[in-house]
Amino acid sequence: MLEVKNVKKEFKSGDNVVSAVNDISFSVSQGKFVSIIGKSGSGKSTLLALLGALDRPTSGEIIVDKNDIAKMNENQQVKYRSKKIGFIFQNYNLIPNLSALENVMIAMEFAGVPKKAGIERAKKLLESVGITEDKHDRRPGKLSGGEQQRVAIARALANEPKLILADEPTGNLDSQTGKMIFDLLHKLSRSENTTIVAVTHDLSIAGKTDMTFKLKDGKLIN
Amino acid sequence: MGVINRGIRNAFRNMTRTGSIVFILAISISLALVMLLSMKAVQLKIESVKSSIGNTITVSPAGVRGFEGGGELITEDNIATISNIAHVSGIVETLSDRLTPETDTDLEASLEMGSFGKRMQEKDSAASSDSSSSSVDVPVADSTRPEPKMSINVTGTNDTSNTNALGVTSLSITSGELFSGNEDTNIAILGTELATKNGLTVGSTFTAYDTTITVIGIYDSGNTFTNSSIIMPIKTLQTLSDQAGLVSSVIVESDSMDNIATVQSDLETNLGDAVDVVSSQDTVSETIEPLENIKTITFYSLIGSLVAGSIIIFLTMLMIVRERRREIGALKAIGASNTTVILQFITESLTLTFLASIVGIIGGFAFSNPVLNALVSSSTTSSVTQPGGSGGMPGGGGELMAKAVGSAQGMQNTLNDLQTIIGFDVIIYGILAAFVIAVIGSSIPAFFISKIRPAEVMRSE
Repeated sequence: MLEVKNVKKEFKSGDNVVSAVNDISFSVSQGKFVSIIGKSGSGKSTLLALLGALDRPTSGEIIVDKNDIAKMNENQQVKYRSKKIGFIFQNYNLIPNLSALENVMIAMEFAGVPKKAGIERAKKLLESVGITEDKHDRRPGKLSGGEQQRVAIARALANEPKLILADEPTGNLDSQTGKMIFDLLHKLSRSENTTIVAVTHDLSIAGKTDMTFKLKDGKLIN
Repeated sequence: MGVINRGIRNAFRNMTRTGSIVFILAISISLALVMLLSMKAVQLKIESVKSSIGNTITVSPAGVRGFEGGGELITEDNIATISNIAHVSGIVETLSDRLTPETDTDLEASLEMGSFGKRMQEKDSAASSDSSSSSVDVPVADSTRPEPKMSINVTGTNDTSNTNALGVTSLSITSGELFSGNEDTNIAILGTELATKNGLTVGSTFTAYDTTITVIGIYDSGNTFTNSSIIMPIKTLQTLSDQAGLVSSVIVESDSMDNIATVQSDLETNLGDAVDVVSSQDTVSETIEPLENIKTITFYSLIGSLVAGSIIIFLTMLMIVRERRREIGALKAIGASNTTVILQFITESLTLTFLASIVGIIGGFAFSNPVLNALVSSSTTSSVTQPGGSGGMPGGGGELMAKAVGSAQGMQNTLNDLQTIIGFDVIIYGILAAFVIAVIGSSIPAFFISKIRPAEVMRSE
């Protein structure tokens, strides 16, 4: 389902060229929960951005569902992000003046889902991640960190993506809440048959995923 | 919940900031609207003044003003010369004279002498005595001198439809009829006050220049001086007053506004120093100079207000875009296109400017006339000069003086009458100004939005 072939990402830093991701290749089959670990600056987030079509690789191929996203034009990348990818961020990145329900609906709006159908699905998703109906109309500021991340997970699942990319999804949460969020993701990867690629520092979490990739200086070391 | 809805809601995310921006922007829009309304009012007035004065040039004998001064009247030869000048499309001739009751006419003047008339008459008499016997002291007010009498003005014209030549703004016949102007018969039309004073109606006769003259009409010009006068065909007056072929003023009409300067120049060249040539353009220029100044001020102020408004919204939107950089990245990451995000921010900008335009329009309504009056006031203080002294003689100074006074008064009235016209179009202008400000002010922030890459936002996490 996800195939990464000889992907490189280089940045210019003054006169020097820095390789954030250096000739990485791997593949992940559908429905697997994969973790990427590594120290700060090892290229984890850059790799995640490349997988999510938030950035273009300098060379190499990233094939998702038989499409090379590195060769897509800007409009195709926008469609790819809206329909095939779900993002979960460390800081949740919910829209502060929208309610929990609206934050989930907004992803469906960008994918062209009709409003009525979007409301129904958003409610079900919030319920499925443990956000009860009385909290649907609350704004992010009125929700706890764990609740906000649950809303973010519901948003990531909104368009039934093939791939969910999570950047330190438990990084801002206490260990107990972090474990609950991890368990939720794990359950979803099974129930929704969604491939999840999560960047994490937490080795205890990484140890429970189906596969773990370790990055060092932009290279995959195991 | 669509992109427009989100844009509108975003405008109210921070009420304190929204209130402040709306207030500042409203001042700018209000000022722009005030300037636009003032400019429009001034432009309308300029056009009105230009159309009311027309394409005319006044030729009058050099050194003569009304019944004062000295020199030679305009002759038939002069008029023939004027007729042959290129671009002259019409000529209106007038001749003025004064009748002394009991001596020259059996009519009784309807104007009261008053203290002003008496003083001027006494001055004339004293001056006359001084010149005849300069070595003898003659008291100014001699009790043996006969009581001075008001004279009656007579104007001869070949075109009664040209009220400008008669020194009035309008002339309506209350009974009887007008003469065409080319008659050489002993007929006249009388002002309402003179006719009433002497009990004359249409068909009545009176004596002047030892001739019986028939009243064919009674007119009302709207002013007391002219309503106490007589108007008759110019040929009749020339014959009766022994001034055959002479006229005291000629109104020359140019075939277009563009040719006035050429005609004026040709008149001055061909007629020489014997006449004074004043074009309506000279009068218009003098009259509209303060208006043109106000127009220039309002135009630049309008541009300045729009620029200020655009800068306010530009800085506001720039600040908002920088502040929501991460949010924009997140929107793009979850599938929003550049167009969607830009549209959302432009809607927010339009909402802010729309709110400001509502307040601005109310401000525009409230302040347009006071601001225009202040501009007029400052402009007239520096530009308008009042005519020096009364300059008249008992009972006024004839048509030229009437025109001079009328012109000065008209100029003052022109400026005092300025009022902005506030209508439905003002609301349209206000909203249009807001739209222009929002679009101009949002264009650069929109460009910045398009350049924000979601990957950059991830790196800053």
